Amino acid sequence: MSERDKYERFVKNHPHHHYTFFNRPHFTRRRFFEIVGSGVVGSYLVGNAKAAQITTQSQQTKNTAKNCIFILLTGAISHTDSFDVKMVNGTTPSNFNPATVNGISWPTGLFPKMAQQLPNMTIVRSMQAHALVHTLAQAWSQIGRNPAAALGDIAPNIGSVVAIEKASERQPGQVFPTFLALNSPSGVGQGYFPATYAPFRLNQPTSAALSGVPNTTNPLGQPRLNTLLTRLHQIDDPLRVNSPYSTDMQDYDEFYSAAKNLTYNPVVSQAFSFNTADSMRYGSTSFGNSCLVAKQVLASNQGTRFIQISFGSWDMHIDIYGQQNPKGNNMYTMGTPLDNGVGALLADLQSSGLLNDTLVVMVGEFGRTVGGVTAAGGRDHWLQQSAVFAGGGVQGGVTHGATDPTGAMTTDFGWSRGRVVYPEDIEATIYSAMGIDWTTIRYDDPFGRGFEYVPFSEQDLYGPVNELWGS
Amino acid sequence: MVKIRTLTLGAAVTGLSLAGFVYSQQQGAEDGPQIPVSESQCSFFGPNHDKFVQAGFMAKGLSSGQASPRALMTAQVASALPPVPGDSRTAADQQVSSTNTIDRYIFQGLQAAGMQPAPPTNDFEFLRRVTLDLTGKIPTADQVVSFTNDSSPDKRTKLVESLLGSPAWLDKWTMFFGDLYQNNSQNTQITRFPQTVTAFNSYVRNSLSSGKPYDQMARELISDQGDNSYQQGELSFIVGGVVGGGPVQDVWDQQTANIATTFLGLANLNCLLCHNGRGHLDSINLWASGVTRNQAWGMSSFLSHTYTSLTRIDSTVRNSPYYWGTSDDTRYKTDYALNTTTGNRPPRQPIGTQKTYPPVYLLSGAKAQPGQNYRQALAQDVTSDFQFARATVNYVWEYFFGIGIVSPSDTFDMARLDPDNPPPSPWTLQPSNPRLLNALAQDFINSKYDLKSLMREIVNSKTYQLSSRYSGTWNPNSANLFGRKLVRRLWSEELHDAVAQSSNILPTYNLMTAYGITTNWAMQLPQPLGTPDGNNGAVNNFLNAFLRGNRDDQPRRQDGSISQALDLMNDNFIMSRVKSTGPASSLLVKNLNLPNDQLVNNLFLAVLSRYPTPAEMTAAVSNLADGNRNQEAENLLWSLYNKVDFVFNY
Repeated sequence: MSERDKYERFVKNHPHHHYTFFNRPHFTRRRFFEIVGSGVVGSYLVGNAKAAQITTQSQQTKNTAKNCIFILLTGAISHTDSFDVKMVNGTTPSNFNPATVNGISWPTGLFPKMAQQLPNMTIVRSMQAHALVHTLAQAWSQIGRNPAAALGDIAPNIGSVVAIEKASERQPGQVFPTFLALNSPSGVGQGYFPATYAPFRLNQPTSAALSGVPNTTNPLGQPRLNTLLTRLHQIDDPLRVNSPYSTDMQDYDEFYSAAKNLTYNPVVSQAFSFNTADSMRYGSTSFGNSCLVAKQVLASNQGTRFIQISFGSWDMHIDIYGQQNPKGNNMYTMGTPLDNGVGALLADLQSSGLLNDTLVVMVGEFGRTVGGVTAAGGRDHWLQQSAVFAGGGVQGGVTHGATDPTGAMTTDFGWSRGRVVYPEDIEATIYSAMGIDWTTIRYDDPFGRGFEYVPFSEQDLYGPVNELWGS
Repeated sequence: MVKIRTLTLGAAVTGLSLAGFVYSQQQGAEDGPQIPVSESQCSFFGPNHDKFVQAGFMAKGLSSGQASPRALMTAQVASALPPVPGDSRTAADQQVSSTNTIDRYIFQGLQAAGMQPAPPTNDFEFLRRVTLDLTGKIPTADQVVSFTNDSSPDKRTKLVESLLGSPAWLDKWTMFFGDLYQNNSQNTQITRFPQTVTAFNSYVRNSLSSGKPYDQMARELISDQGDNSYQQGELSFIVGGVVGGGPVQDVWDQQTANIATTFLGLANLNCLLCHNGRGHLDSINLWASGVTRNQAWGMSSFLSHTYTSLTRIDSTVRNSPYYWGTSDDTRYKTDYALNTTTGNRPPRQPIGTQKTYPPVYLLSGAKAQPGQNYRQALAQDVTSDFQFARATVNYVWEYFFGIGIVSPSDTFDMARLDPDNPPPSPWTLQPSNPRLLNALAQDFINSKYDLKSLMREIVNSKTYQLSSRYSGTWNPNSANLFGRKLVRRLWSEELHDAVAQSSNILPTYNLMTAYGITTNWAMQLPQPLGTPDGNNGAVNNFLNAFLRGNRDDQPRRQDGSISQALDLMNDNFIMSRVKSTGPASSLLVKNLNLPNDQLVNNLFLAVLSRYPTPAEMTAAVSNLADGNRNQEAENLLWSLYNKVDFVFNY
């Protein structure tokens, strides 16, 4: 039986069980910690992952990436105008200038800077989303599973899984959260994991003058802040440590521990502040500055391992080429900032040597309709899409999988499983790259049913795209 | 290979679900030509995703026995029995004198589940809790002292009356209903200019102020017509359903979905306006899984004579500001047409020879009468529906208790509400206490839809007045039995106003610059957006850090964060208010020359609404006596603003 048959048979034999929404398990992680009767301990400096019973199938991981930058193109980028470019005569603007660069077809006019990075990039063109609802599919991309399924709504972000896995690798003196989320105010959080593994969210300004982490110094100075915190703990520990009122209050104390580590720390301004010249190289946009900060944060080696950057909206139902309204949201007004940011990011990561152990992943939540544009001059939602990888040990300058001449459907799967690549496979790929066994099941979930890092790993339903490593 | 351990918790947990395939309506790889229609934004999983996470624990089928008829029978039987010898402190014993509807059902449920309720709140806890919940403010030091010294037995009910009559009650509930009606200047589809936002805000405020029955308010919001939203705030509600990029049916569908969500708690109608429930909602909602898209169109058809207009103030100026209006039977005079192929929702095509769909109220089958204004007919159908009362009391209950009786509160399942007619297995009744929900709804109707009466019933109950401290083993599965008050982090505006009020250093924000109208209170802002200080946005950042939401794709949230901690520790909004040098009227300067113990007492009373514990007093006094006194006083006040019992309502 082929992998594809196996997958389809599994899906057929395991239809969505008709448990009601409310009969499916729901829990917040807070309730979980109330159940196990355990106060959440410490900050990420001292707090290792709570000992959980863990099983794996002892899969050999690639373990070539120390860090991951996960760029989510929200709203769903048109794959046939970008990473799987198709020249549709009379539709695709000629100044997209699709050309074959080192064997990869690429819109060199739209993405000239990324074109220079193609030797570092790997494109998977046989990817498909499961769903065509923006927010559902966005959450799906971030948790690598169906948000509406069991455990879906308590599932941690991939970055939180990385954070809990890498907690034991944190060095003394490293003060940044393991999981940083830039320009992702409404992204998925830590799910049922403790607050320690939550994304630290920060929106980037467009102006260098406003860069940095706000309120990391106190107007009265550092010694005084230390005194203040001592006084606070003196009178508040009976309520904030093992609180008689609620674990919510204990969680709040955890955020204080993390916050204190960010104050009066020169590495904070080094990593999070930037100058105008650098910002201009990245395009002087909020997205570009996020890429710049991501690079600086990784260079600072302060414990951050997973950085999510969200950039949208690519939801171009109307006027996708800006023919009616050149200043609206279209492939040019969004594409240029993307090209500037990612182009500079990959160039800088490479020149600093960070690219070798930093995996960059770039996906939208699904693709867009192909061929001619709609009556509104736009492209609607479509399952077929592409995923882009770079660095972190994957082989650059190649593509995997291929679509038909229109880009509507996969014609060549391009990997051993002989089926399309799903978000779950991307998730498994990230884990494998970072040395995390994707078949891990933790039994610290609120239901004791076992939280699989990648769903259905016992059935081997999803797995890493090992072909990215050229094997 | 390692075997996955499979546990059975209730009936719920064993399934492996691949619901994704339910959503894959357009297959790319294998199937034929595509239909060029985009999937609509599905709000059920949209901004609500986090809400489901937040609220999820409450709704699970894991608990509680409470909802099953058998448990209720057990409760009735058990309450008729004499107390078990030796078990001297059952819930029923403790609360036997209560006549409050809420307490009757809640304590019955607790007893049936064998769960001991938390002890009652003390006066300090109650005063702070109910003042925050009803008015968004903390009590003043004077109020704390006088209330706790008052020995009259009815002082709590008297307090409730005075809070319900206070101007701050209007501020708080104008904000609450502004959230519910999503009054904002910008959503993903439309812009409302400030005059429109302000007019809508004033409409809500004036309606609450005049004691307008809530059913009347709902009817006005659903059916009022007019051409100028600058002058008629209530028009804004229907305007909020305007969507671009598609035919007018898309607009009617969204307007209908907004009505169903806001007034009936039926957010699922939005799903049904794209597709039948079967195959989509089977796992989510028993009732909705049997509803067809055609039936949902029957609801939208009530909007099908409505034209939502946009009028520029100066039609000769391209970017002139504009106001909105709604009118019926002007531009649109035929019923909901089945004639679309593009837009935000799947095509609408004739059913056989039927080319339009008539208005039929989904929950009763009622039809609009010939000549009747469709929206007025719908408003009548909605507000005379028991579900309207049920959904409304549930929204309010969810606010006061942290968990709706049906939760999340906009996901009602009409087929799982009747305790005398429970749904077939494996479904269970949806409300955690269906008889209580129905009784509350009936009380609300009996009060002529009086919101204050509903709130009075809630906050005067012994259930509401239970402590949030719990000494026994707390079973969080049973949180929806309401045996303990759950804490909540203060709303962004509450926190801001509590700091401003207690420090007695009030900021001033422009509300309507042109008219010189200002406010000192974040709770009086017409929407949780914008820059109240009008200068550098610093206070705006402070308010946003506490997740006040945007009334569109970001709901108000209760999570904590590192940013919140940084702001409370270091932000100028706090730091400028803990100085020992400053206005003579400020809390710290005013009390600085008092003896140490009085200083400590007064700061605690003003900020935390209670006296210090002996340990807190000892620590504070010794710091003041041993160190730089002014600095230690500042340290103390700063500590109080950073204490968890300041940041939370407990």
